[in-house]
Amino acid sequence: MARAVRSGSRVDIAILIVCGLLALLGAVMPLPTRDAIAGALQRTLAAPLLSLQKRSERARSAFVERDRLTASVDSLALRVTALAQLEAENERLRGLLVLGSRLGRNFVTADALHGQGLGDKHTLLLTVGAEGGVKARSAVVTPDGVVGTVAAVNPSTSVAIMWSHPDFRVSAMSADGTTFGIIAPHLGGDSGCEEEDALDCAEPDRFLLELRGVAFRDALKPGTQILSSGLGGVFPRGVAVGTVIGELKTPEPWSRTYMVRPAVRPQDVSNVIVLDPAWTTQNVASHWSSPQSADSAVRMIVGAGDSLRRQAAAAVAARQRALDSIAAALATPVAPALLPGDTAARRIPQATVPIRPMPRARPDTARRPPARRDTTRPRPSP
Amino acid sequence: MSKLLRTAMLFALLLALHFTVRPLLQWRVAPDFLVIAVLLAAVRVRPGVAALIGFFTGLMADALSPAAFGAAAFSLSVVGFGASWLKAVFFSDNVVLHAFFFFVGKWAFDILFLIVARQHDIFELMTQVVLWSPLAAALTAVTGLLVLMLFRGMLEASPT
Repeated sequence: MARAVRSGSRVDIAILIVCGLLALLGAVMPLPTRDAIAGALQRTLAAPLLSLQKRSERARSAFVERDRLTASVDSLALRVTALAQLEAENERLRGLLVLGSRLGRNFVTADALHGQGLGDKHTLLLTVGAEGGVKARSAVVTPDGVVGTVAAVNPSTSVAIMWSHPDFRVSAMSADGTTFGIIAPHLGGDSGCEEEDALDCAEPDRFLLELRGVAFRDALKPGTQILSSGLGGVFPRGVAVGTVIGELKTPEPWSRTYMVRPAVRPQDVSNVIVLDPAWTTQNVASHWSSPQSADSAVRMIVGAGDSLRRQAAAAVAARQRALDSIAAALATPVAPALLPGDTAARRIPQATVPIRPMPRARPDTARRPPARRDTTRPRPSP
Repeated sequence: MSKLLRTAMLFALLLALHFTVRPLLQWRVAPDFLVIAVLLAAVRVRPGVAALIGFFTGLMADALSPAAFGAAAFSLSVVGFGASWLKAVFFSDNVVLHAFFFFVGKWAFDILFLIVARQHDIFELMTQVVLWSPLAAALTAVTGLLVLMLFRGMLEASPT
């Protein structure tokens, strides 16, 4: 019995030794041989295990991919949320480009900041002031139409009142030019909103306009487009003001008043164009109505930018020539590397050759002297 | 159903779990179902048979990771033989002893595997042996206890 147990133990140990030696042999054998054995096992005995492992790893990859996709979808959803705002802003800016390209000169673009304080609901703070060429009572417009007028001008900012302000007025006409009147904000008088309280009046129809003083014989149909008439010396003729909604019943027997839906919604105003008073004598109706693609407008703007670059290069060349001539007169060579910019001018002794600073390029053509207002020319009777 | 067949079924199940759960989790510290399977089988057979079971089980594992070919076969052979030989010494139904058995079995497997595989420098080897292997051994012990509790009825039998 004891011999049998001992012999069994020897067999067990022998099996262990054989197994251990075989395993160690597998560990030290050449790589191709190991790969061949492993490959054979993978194709036969270990094939089900390999299949299980592959499926598990695929499942794991699916989980990881799902998490990654979820994160991607979340971030995309967030971006899409912001995309609507970007699209609207893009559309507004493209509109500004188109309008700017059509106007071509005598205007200033500005960011419009909405007033946040009490009573500031109908005013805009423009980021351009007198230094940028803005003048009081200049027209403020967008590609959609009339926004308001500049009320106060500071050196670097200006304040504009929007068309919803109780003080706003603009002379207007129907698109065919046959009917004239005065556009004023609808203050909601029907609902008991007094003019002195108008700044805080917030009825839904508060953000509409009235076309007042229309001759009784002139009837306007709903949908008629209303443009500025060019009278009054602020707005040029032909800027879109709004669309007639319907007639408003008033006690005035000899004139009509129409409700007008404004072309520009105050909450949509973020970038504006301030027109130089020189425009008041012009008819700009074609600028607001002629079809022109935004792309071509962008090309025009880029072309204008290129021409500005060429002008700047020409100015530098002229400066170079002037410095060369000065240097020749003084018999002092001027190093070409020092020429660009004002450093070259500083190198030349100030006492002997006074260098007058080059006139700076005007930031905007809106600085041109204002044209005479149309008050001096005979006005057509409305 | 014979005890041998039930043990074989559990063995196959643990083998399948090893190649499904671990790739799915991909944890740094994961339970080793191969060690649990070999230990559970080893305590029911002679040491030589246990060494053979460990050898072939390790060979399957090596076939799926040829970089350390032979290391798992060697380690599981030794662990299986040792488990079968030791079970006659102190194996009982004590839960703590079972857990210790799984813990030591897994740790010993890792140490042998790392030595035979020769894939790490001494610092990595010590980190693995001292830090990660004990954690993996502890998780394996817990998992082994869960397996024992779940399949107690299936495994109820007197050791050979």
